[in-house]
Amino acid sequence: MITKCLTRLMDETGATYSMVIDRAGQVLSSEGEVHKGEMMHLGALLAGSYASSREMARLLREDNFRVLVQEGAREKIFTETVEDRWLLVVVFDHHAHLGLVKVLAKRTTQSLAEILRLVIERNEMYRLQLSGEFPRAAKDTIDLIFGNDDSSETPK
Amino acid sequence: MALINVAAREIHGKIVYYGPGLCGKTTNLQIIHAKIPQNGRSDLLSIATETERTLFFDFMPLELGQVHGFSIRFHLYTVPGQILYERTRVAVLNGTDGVVFVADAQRDRLADNLQSLRELAHNLKNQGKRLVDFPLVMQYNKMDLPTALPTPVLDRYLNTIKVPRFEASAVNGDGVFETLRAISKLVVNKL
Repeated sequence: MITKCLTRLMDETGATYSMVIDRAGQVLSSEGEVHKGEMMHLGALLAGSYASSREMARLLREDNFRVLVQEGAREKIFTETVEDRWLLVVVFDHHAHLGLVKVLAKRTTQSLAEILRLVIERNEMYRLQLSGEFPRAAKDTIDLIFGNDDSSETPK
Repeated sequence: MALINVAAREIHGKIVYYGPGLCGKTTNLQIIHAKIPQNGRSDLLSIATETERTLFFDFMPLELGQVHGFSIRFHLYTVPGQILYERTRVAVLNGTDGVVFVADAQRDRLADNLQSLRELAHNLKNQGKRLVDFPLVMQYNKMDLPTALPTPVLDRYLNTIKVPRFEASAVNGDGVFETLRAISKLVVNKL
């Protein structure tokens, strides 16, 4: 359903790429062609920019800056918060108009808010199923990668 | 809490390296980046000043591979250590699942370590997290220097809540992966 929202937004605006990230910079969903490594870096940088602008807002006794716009000679990035927990990111070039992106992104954030709440609810239910065997297996994998000679010490 | 993306079969965790200026946070990430096999990591992204001091953060995604059909990925970040960038540290710390506190073991940096640790506790509290039950690992870095304080002294002043701690010389690669392994396990434990 998130994919459907992003695809519709891109079709209607002519944007080249869009994604939904959480405030920690993790990419939840993305549409359009961007290399996976670039996508992760973009997510981290945008979440950082947003968190940084939030701190600026606080200094100015403003609640928040809901929207970020970055304009280059070729590419533009429009970022808007979704319920203060996630960020909708739209990357577009001269084929798309900022005004249209703004209006349609606003509509998309409203649809996404409801969908994301459901997705998070489902993911949290899944988290309960993962407890037990999963953390054990994950820790074994970590030992496999980093070695398991435990030189850690917890002071007495 | 680490993000579980059921649709993409992915689990994401965010780990932040925190500590006073010049304690070796960026060095930790540089060593990890240099030594991890290429299929496990992407580029190390550094937003630094002209003098190579961290301005915003360093960032590196780390793929741990598949567990029960889920791929586990950690995003490693550092904060800028200089006092001036306190609000930037708040921004980078946002949504973190685990913290490595890198302390500079040298005698004349003890006060800076304490100040940074107090600030970390304060910033986590503002995010509704408590230092005592949050995934936290401590690294005493620069233990190879003659000016380093002995571990029991560092324990007494810095590790009063008795979290796992590691002696390190990050620049030589010592203690870097032991620290990363410990924090990774603590984050996974909180799933």
